Amino acid sequence: MKTPFRLADHPRRGLPPLSSPPAGYFEQLPTRLMAQVAAPARPPGPLAWLWPAPASLRTGLASTLLLGTFAASLWLGGAPAHQPAPTAASLDAVPRAQLVEYLTSGETHVDMLDLAELPARHLGLTQQYLQPSATELTAALDAQPAEAAGLL
Amino acid sequence: MEDSEILAKFHAPASRNLAFNQLVRKYQQKVYWHVRKMVVDHDDADDLTQDVFVKVFQHLENFRQDAQLFTWIYRIATNECLSFLQSKRRRFFLPLNDVGAELLAKLEADPAVAGDEIELRLQRAILRLPDKQRLVFNLRYYDEMPYEQMAEVTGTSVGALKASYHHAARKIEDYVTKADNEAPATDVAD
Repeated sequence: MKTPFRLADHPRRGLPPLSSPPAGYFEQLPTRLMAQVAAPARPPGPLAWLWPAPASLRTGLASTLLLGTFAASLWLGGAPAHQPAPTAASLDAVPRAQLVEYLTSGETHVDMLDLAELPARHLGLTQQYLQPSATELTAALDAQPAEAAGLL
Repeated sequence: MEDSEILAKFHAPASRNLAFNQLVRKYQQKVYWHVRKMVVDHDDADDLTQDVFVKVFQHLENFRQDAQLFTWIYRIATNECLSFLQSKRRRFFLPLNDVGAELLAKLEADPAVAGDEIELRLQRAILRLPDKQRLVFNLRYYDEMPYEQMAEVTGTSVGALKASYHHAARKIEDYVTKADNEAPATDVAD
């Protein structure tokens, strides 16, 4: 068994075995510290009163302002109120006879393909005019020229 | 420059910065190495050293001179070191030995220790001590600080400090002896 280790017998060093700090460290440290402790100049302008406040308070105020601006822009520019489609409202006011005359006019041929592409909000109109009885359909189709499959 | 002169200049606004500059130049190496012995890593020691002197600047005006200036500065440095090590442990949920293992890894990576096996074992044993006990050991073994001054720095009684150092020394000797005899390493921390 080897001799027990004794601190008193061990050569005492002034420091543990640690590498020296970078060259010039102690020459530069006072300058770096002075830069930290020197009071920063107050910014001019209307926010000068805020400068002495803690950084956390300034950050919190800035965040609150930003979020408030965002919320306000959302609220003020919110989705427009739903309004009935002007075309549906105006069509409701048009007499049925006038509509039929228009649809069957020389230049306006409403065929099955056109009606099939109508969006759902026009369903009321199409349902009004596209639910004829079998007899009405047959009579209408027979009355139409073969090359223009229109609807009454 | 005497501490009394530094303090007098510091109290005068016109010469405050000059006084602080002189204070830093007088004590920076002692503070740095006191901190460095505890945290091992230079970058950590640099951060802590700066924190210490910034606090000194902020509170020096209120220094009551009921203790020596250097003792007061040492106390700030000691508290900063212990807080740093505690927060490191808390932040990463590391038990005591893991922080010690991290410090040991940094020490073993330091080229200054290369090749000296007994010294490396000694440093391993020291790093395994609890933080406060390691602090006491460093102050006594490396700084040869009188126990009365150590009591002012640590806020602990002279008797408790002597007991703490005695136990630390025994733990270290036992650990190095066992390591030297190639026995399994034991955890010297209480």
